[in-house]
Amino acid sequence: MSRSHSHTFAVTVTAITQVTPLIKHFVLKASDGSQLPAFSGGSHVIVVMKGASRVHRNPYSLLSSPSDLSSYEIAVRRADPTRGGSVFMHDHVTVGMQLEIAHPVNLFQLDKLARKHVLFAGGVGITAIAAQLEDLKMGSVHYELHYSVRGPEHAAFADRLVKRHGDRVRIYHDSADQRIDIEGLVAAQPLGTHVYVCGPTPMIDRVIASARAAGWANSHIHWEQFSAPPVGEPFDVFLQRSNITLSVPPDQSLLEAIEDAGIDAPYLCRGGVCGECKCRVLEVDGVLVHNDNYLSSEEKASGALIMPCVSRAQGKKLVIDL
Amino acid sequence: MLIRGIKSKPVYTPLAPDLGGRTHLMVGFGVGAEPLARLIADCALAGVKKSSRQLLYVTDKSASPEMREAMQNADVEQVRLFSDSASLLTQFEAILQAATMGTRLYVSGPEAFMGLVMRIADRFNLNRDEIRAEECGSPARRVHCIHCRAATEDVTTNIVQCVGCQRWLVVRDHYSRRLAAYMGVMIDAEVPGELPPIEEVFV
Ligand code: FES
Repeated sequence: MSRSHSHTFAVTVTAITQVTPLIKHFVLKASDGSQLPAFSGGSHVIVVMKGASRVHRNPYSLLSSPSDLSSYEIAVRRADPTRGGSVFMHDHVTVGMQLEIAHPVNLFQLDKLARKHVLFAGGVGITAIAAQLEDLKMGSVHYELHYSVRGPEHAAFADRLVKRHGDRVRIYHDSADQRIDIEGLVAAQPLGTHVYVCGPTPMIDRVIASARAAGWANSHIHWEQFSAPPVGEPFDVFLQRSNITLSVPPDQSLLEAIEDAGIDAPYLCRGGVCGECKCRVLEVDGVLVHNDNYLSSEEKASGALIMPCVSRAQGKKLVIDL
Repeated sequence: MLIRGIKSKPVYTPLAPDLGGRTHLMVGFGVGAEPLARLIADCALAGVKKSSRQLLYVTDKSASPEMREAMQNADVEQVRLFSDSASLLTQFEAILQAATMGTRLYVSGPEAFMGLVMRIADRFNLNRDEIRAEECGSPARRVHCIHCRAATEDVTTNIVQCVGCQRWLVVRDHYSRRLAAYMGVMIDAEVPGELPPIEEVFV
């Protein structure tokens, strides 16, 4: 694949809003004042954050309108403090500060031939879907969003979406015990409908399972499920082609450790979904801890492949083809 | 075969039930009865409910009387028989209009017929993983004249006279899914009337 994140460009943070106790919203403009690269709804960018001790590279969905390239908007949910990126965004990034970002990549595209789009979002998952709605608003194909939020104070995006999309958007408040009838919604959709989901894992699983139970073919079911690299045991890795041994600490991913050593490794999503970082395992003494949603269970079981962006090893030795 | 390696041409494999589907819509023409009969039997064996099975079939002379009878009495919820493809296609389109996600399409018959069915299925965004198709019967081609856009049906020869503009067309291997036809390009542009030998090739 020729797409690559190695080319980054500088953006300046021009506004920050605390939209919920856990979510901050950032507006980014090109630091040189030019227009930002075009993107389609569902795209993400990798934000490079140079922290005191370490560089973080986290994927965030672009939630602004693809038709407005004067700025990008992202929303960052404050996550586990042991994983630095989101905490850095929340605690250290201020208006006027410069960040590096990589070109937008879309791994969650709308199907252009669809006759209808049904979208489900939960919580901060709305960020992957917001820009898709903007694209859909421009088109003539019917769409509807079912958006579940914790409670009124979390519904920051909800008001904005309802204003822009009217009754095509339905909000469900968890706190008022409003539940999306996913099974009912997928049961009777016209031919050519596509379903999209981004949200907590149980929600994604339920949408996929319900659609399949209703007989939907896989080509009509789309989801985005970036996993953050989980914390794990420290381990050592030998990069065969680079001829170098690295130690991967508990709170760093294999990919980050490789990058820290100054070695260029491929990636697109950094969330275990795109397959770009796939690497051959040449030797392992111990077990591979697969945390990705890309490899099949057979591939995982074979022990021959690893996705360094999210997966790790446990044991004495790991040799990979890099 | 001439069409081998042409990407635009759909891939056909023996029909088998897709147990992921909730409605099984079967469409056939003439000798297509044979794979369909097999499919219906396999559906029953696999526990696909009879109420979820529907059949649309063009009774053509290419099918034996036994086969035609088998289609008429097929073990499905509803059998609809037609005397020509055009009326089947009209009904087929109406069914798709009302169909819901979870539908699987099975098509069997000569290539030209399958192309017409696929073209409608495409309009409803039925994807590869929702369609199973088995080709059988005449390899006669439907030819689209690139000059006048008329479609000449049932072409078995390498060269054919266009039904629309009367030009002599050479039948190319380039297949268009959208047109459900092979491209036909005028052959005697240099010296009118001078034709290479016409041969039966699509038989
Ligand atoms: S970078 Fe996408 S799977 Fe690792």
